[in-house]
Amino acid sequence: MIDERTLTILTESAKYDVSCSSSGSDRRNEGGIGNGYASGCCHSFTPDGRCISLLKILLSNDCIYNCKYCLNRRDNDLPRATATADDICGLVMDFYKRNYIEGLFLSSAVHISPNHTMEQLCLVVKKLREEYGFHGYIHVKGIPRADMEIVNRTALFADRMSFNIELPSESSLKLLAPQKDKESLLLPMAKLQREKAVFRAEKRKGHFLPAGQTTQMIVGASPEKDGSILRLSQGLYRKNGLKRVYYSSYVPVLHDALLPEVAGGALREHRLYQADWLLRFYGFDAEELLPPDEDLSLEFDPKCAWALSHMEHFPVEVNRAPLEMLLRVPGIGARSAQRICAARRYTRLTFEHLKKMRVVLKRAKHFITASGKFYGAAENAIRGLLSAQEAHANATQLDLFSMNETALSALTGEL
Amino acid sequence: MIYFYDGTKEAFLTALVLSFRDSDPFLTSGNKQLVLGQETAFVRTDQDKAKKVEERLLSFDKDCMHDLDTILRSGDVGKDNVALAYFRLLAEKKCPVRMMLGEDAVLAADECIHRVGFEIHRFHGFVRFLGTASGALYAPISPDNDICDLLVPHFRARMPKIPFVIHDVKRKKAAVYDGENTFLAPLDEAEVVLAADETAWQRLWRKYYDSVNIPSRERLKQMRGYMPVRYWKFMPEKRPFHDAEGDEDAPVLPS
Ligand code: SF4
Repeated sequence: MIDERTLTILTESAKYDVSCSSSGSDRRNEGGIGNGYASGCCHSFTPDGRCISLLKILLSNDCIYNCKYCLNRRDNDLPRATATADDICGLVMDFYKRNYIEGLFLSSAVHISPNHTMEQLCLVVKKLREEYGFHGYIHVKGIPRADMEIVNRTALFADRMSFNIELPSESSLKLLAPQKDKESLLLPMAKLQREKAVFRAEKRKGHFLPAGQTTQMIVGASPEKDGSILRLSQGLYRKNGLKRVYYSSYVPVLHDALLPEVAGGALREHRLYQADWLLRFYGFDAEELLPPDEDLSLEFDPKCAWALSHMEHFPVEVNRAPLEMLLRVPGIGARSAQRICAARRYTRLTFEHLKKMRVVLKRAKHFITASGKFYGAAENAIRGLLSAQEAHANATQLDLFSMNETALSALTGEL
Repeated sequence: MIYFYDGTKEAFLTALVLSFRDSDPFLTSGNKQLVLGQETAFVRTDQDKAKKVEERLLSFDKDCMHDLDTILRSGDVGKDNVALAYFRLLAEKKCPVRMMLGEDAVLAADECIHRVGFEIHRFHGFVRFLGTASGALYAPISPDNDICDLLVPHFRARMPKIPFVIHDVKRKKAAVYDGENTFLAPLDEAEVVLAADETAWQRLWRKYYDSVNIPSRERLKQMRGYMPVRYWKFMPEKRPFHDAEGDEDAPVLPS
């Protein structure tokens, strides 16, 4: 059994990684323990409001690199630990059995060398699958500059892999993470994607990253605008077939002249997630969402901001508007839009109906008509009204994320 | 008229027939509290009648019995009337009404079904098993809705070789998987002998829970929204911290 000190050190060092999703894999139980849960599953929530789905842990926090923003950087004086493969495997099996976790998120600092580290990660997941008979979810972090051969071998045992982009531009990487560059991060993603395609085309046996690839970037440690970030994400979704891009607003854990002393705004991170969601599920294009100054509005959510600058499309009639248009109405989320489409087949919808269907009308009413009726404000007053609503929400509730409604909207995408 | 019934599917179907011509029926499986001036009827299950009406309803909507089963599992006091209104509408329309979201009866049923389904999903994550000396797993729960047997397939699929018991301590019943078959049994109190290493694993889990948290970003409201306090009782990680005399190692016990 792993000792408490090692567990604590290796968890403390892993916790700033934001991706914790366990969705997208339909791995079956083939004897032994575990299976994938395609929709993902949260097992607990910590006081910071984040979900625990996977056991998020480093194999080692003993790093030879020196990224300026990272706690584990070589020059930082910090207790170090390295776990054995059996430590990790045992922990996963017993936590999983008790239903504490949905699987493993295994990452590591660059210990000894990139190849050595990648080899160790591969060993853990191979052991977990073959010796321990674990069929639950495994996400493994790719180590930049490790040989592709080892990476590909690891992919045979993992459900998902991620190479973190870390920072949204080459120049910031050079400054803050001198041992990494765009090539060492983007190239492996492209190669893995190609390898997966080959694996599928040749109908080889087994699995190769059934839940695909994700990545993560730190927002607010470097000066990039939302524009460069969103375009980068859009490219990753469309060209590299990534499943998810995570944004992590910068937490100043270290002091360095090159780093900002204040935390990146939670509100900015939230806006990026909202915009990202619109790219993936609502048929928006990054260019539509970005205002001329390249930063997303903090005042309005991105869908609302888009609608306000495109009032020529509104109001739309809920009984006729196509689904794609309903999805663009501020305040109407995917679930509501679908329910509206289903319900209007049977009856002519009125505002009364919408209210009963729990469609949130506070914002939507300015952008829709129902059976010809309009209950919104005059066009030139809408902006002011909505802005006052947002400001009021922010004032009564300084911490944006304490608002359950908003927090949930990040999950369900009801913007 | 107020109709009392025993909460079973068959009795419900009988009540549906009995009350069909009543313009303002009130159905309840709750406490038999007599209201002065109200007419009351006690529904006695009529298996034949129930079977006939079931077939008829299935011919209108082949999935409707699944809806009924789900609604009757709800912990809401008004669930009986929700089901009654929904099935009266189905009988009237003679075709699936599920998506007629302009109808109050459908909206109420939809919400009720949604809540039960959501709790099942939540419990796929929130159930906490305890390792016992025999190697079987034991999980006490107290959900809002009557769902313990519906949780079994999920865990059975992922741990086919480990016997387990999911014990609804509120409803005093347990869903049991013995390694081959699943069954439901009344269970008042379980006598559980914990595995020797159970305490140690719970400790590690609590350590993990504490160290993965980022204290500078506390958002307690959000945490409670996602994981309501009423579910914390059987989660080792949410056990309140003990003072100096408290036995910090005491494991979560079935109670
Ligand atoms: S390589 Fe990773 S662990 Fe090492 S300093 Fe950079 S970010 Fe930190």
